[in-house]
Amino acid sequence: MESKKILPIFSSYKTNPVFYDEIFKNDKEIRDTYGELFKLFNEYKVDDFKLLNEKAKLSFLNQGITFQVYDKTTVEKVFPFDLFPKIITADEWDHIESGALQRSKALNLFLYDVYHKKQIIKDGIVPIELISSSENYLDQMNGLEPPGGIYNHISGTDVIKHSDGEYYVLEDNIRCPSGVSYVVSNRVALKRAMFGVFNNYPTCPVANYSENLLEIMQSVKPAGVDIPTCVVITPGIYNSAYYEHSFLAKSMGIELVEGRDLFIEKDFVYMKTIYGPVKIDVIYRRIDDAFIDPLEFNPDSVLGVPGLFAAYKKGNVTLVNAPGTGVADDKAIYTYMPQIIKYYLNEEPILNNVHTYHCSRPKELAYVLDNIDKLVVKPVDESGGYGISIGNKLTKEEIEKVKAVIKENPRKYIAQPIMALSTHATFIDEKQCFEPRHVDLRTFTLLGKDKEFVLKGGLTRVALKEGNLIVNSSQGGGSKDTWVLKR
Amino acid sequence: MLARVANNLFWMGRYLERTEHIARYLNVNYFSSFDAPNETSQSRQFVLNSIVRMVDDDPEKETVLFEKKVLFDAALNDEKIFSIKSYFRMARDNASSARDMISTELYESINKLHHYINNYSIEYFTERGLDEFTTYVSKAVSQIKANIVTTMMHDDTYAIIHLGINLERATDVIRIIDTKYKDALSVQNETDFATSYEWTILLKCIQSFDMMKRHYKKAPTSKNTLDFLILNPECPKSVMSCLNNAKCQIDYLNKNHHSLSSAFLIGKLRAKYHYKRINEIEIGFDKFIQEIISELDEICISIEDELFKH
Repeated sequence: MESKKILPIFSSYKTNPVFYDEIFKNDKEIRDTYGELFKLFNEYKVDDFKLLNEKAKLSFLNQGITFQVYDKTTVEKVFPFDLFPKIITADEWDHIESGALQRSKALNLFLYDVYHKKQIIKDGIVPIELISSSENYLDQMNGLEPPGGIYNHISGTDVIKHSDGEYYVLEDNIRCPSGVSYVVSNRVALKRAMFGVFNNYPTCPVANYSENLLEIMQSVKPAGVDIPTCVVITPGIYNSAYYEHSFLAKSMGIELVEGRDLFIEKDFVYMKTIYGPVKIDVIYRRIDDAFIDPLEFNPDSVLGVPGLFAAYKKGNVTLVNAPGTGVADDKAIYTYMPQIIKYYLNEEPILNNVHTYHCSRPKELAYVLDNIDKLVVKPVDESGGYGISIGNKLTKEEIEKVKAVIKENPRKYIAQPIMALSTHATFIDEKQCFEPRHVDLRTFTLLGKDKEFVLKGGLTRVALKEGNLIVNSSQGGGSKDTWVLKR
Repeated sequence: MLARVANNLFWMGRYLERTEHIARYLNVNYFSSFDAPNETSQSRQFVLNSIVRMVDDDPEKETVLFEKKVLFDAALNDEKIFSIKSYFRMARDNASSARDMISTELYESINKLHHYINNYSIEYFTERGLDEFTTYVSKAVSQIKANIVTTMMHDDTYAIIHLGINLERATDVIRIIDTKYKDALSVQNETDFATSYEWTILLKCIQSFDMMKRHYKKAPTSKNTLDFLILNPECPKSVMSCLNNAKCQIDYLNKNHHSLSSAFLIGKLRAKYHYKRINEIEIGFDKFIQEIISELDEICISIEDELFKH
């Protein structure tokens, strides 16, 4: 291993032996994969780098690559972007890709089973209580045949690199996983800002996501449709992910609709155009199950379309992802993923699961209550990092509060050991230098009829606060470009 | 194209155009007055009054106008619906709602101007930023409109945006003509109405001064100025030119509709002014203003009913 001189911009970089640092083997040695990248960064002075950083931020702001947060008024924010990319070698990627695909396929088969014969429950692999008590289980989906047999057309799998250097899955997101627009935007921004960096790294493209997504949508068209009309449905411009919705529609060349643009007639879905009604066949919905149809689900919803679910039931329109997929990305179901993979695919899981304690089980509940300071407690049905308690960051009073909340509704919580998320070099504005920060990686997998695709890259999310393990943007996280190297 | 999105694009075009006209009106009217040939045209109250009447449909009846307040209200007061800031915010909101339909370059240019306006210091503006701010806004809107021409497909999206731009331009030009016509009337005891300096300001407000001189080879008068800005189809900002363009755009949309009443109304109005002489307009100027504003409104309502309410 070649020993390299540490650059001034990295002068205060201190690795912590508890965590796997993706750049440095120790305080002096740089990992081989990042060697060339360091040479390039060596050419920048702190002021030059600050300028590049500012330019990248301004470019995101001017292009409107932003998200909205609500703090009394709506504030438009740039998703913080770090110019130092995460690099994944081809071998490492093969492992992640095959693991993500395996999980997506297994989850799809699980969903079909759960909404049909429920054989996995009858065979005693997954307890029925976990299904029947899930807030995301939809009785209305029982017996329905989704076109192409696909439920989770789009899956976001969150993986981390633990201190042992192995990848672990933190969670599967198969409702409306978001973030792919930032994968593409981050690549564009990095190419513009530091084009020289790509010369030494043959990197897989990420801009092909949208064309693959459109093909996936077209592959699950309703029966009898020749050329399907596909759309993306959004809650509207004030939704925090509106940029992503418009990006997806624009990059696929299809309409971005709101609920008010659609109506149902004789169980078919139409959009209101300037030339009159146009029938719609496939909807990529970025609206949660509860809001897609006020006649079937939440009656107060103004975001959805009255009668949409009836049209779906009749097979006249395909919803991507299917309603009711949330039952499978429940964090309590996550625990059973190794068994689910084995049961449906007869394969060993490629990616590791993190050991998980079910608070619904009395023995495990007792362990969790006695060891909260060593565990991460998560609600089973939340996303975006909301409701998570990290034991070693809590005060005594906070621990007691968390205990009380768990006891009130044990089914709602699981607990996991505090995972040592790897660290990655991240430029810290206030300190004007690079420091290690925790990262994870969200991969994007697409399933269609006789078609599958895993985006070669993903969203590397970084917790910008020192020591923070929650990387979600809603919790102050940022992101990095992710390079998957070609062979 | 979605009816809702068409509505957004139409109004995006209208608000872009309106923003540009107000920015230029503020700039030209304010700075041209300093060396105006007569005392009243030079007076601050006269200039401020002219600005207020142009931007505000329903101005408060104040005896004394305060310069900083008038300029702030017209440019950066987001509580005033007629300010540049408010109009451009609406342009950008409409662009955001139709973001998947417009080019990345177009959206970026709109968004960039939005941030410029939002971050512009109010204090600096009222002290010495009027020229810088209004010039930047005018140029940036021109750039945005260039992006519409050069980066968008020339299809129904383009037709809808330009329909909005042209109908708004016709309306704004009429409003500016009306304001300056009344300014010219109010100084006629100091200077001859027909050769008033206000016609020069009017032409500059509509970026037509140089071309008018080239066309007539004479100093501006009430007759040649009004003829140029209302009836001359070769003047790109004239009402006639706007109606001709709007007719092309509605005809494009009519290809798929075949019987749009809006196409009939635009054609009818265009024919009416095609055969009009400026003398006829001058004789009943107030009636002309009321009629044409009402006719343009009728066209916009018809477009809304036929295209945006499916």
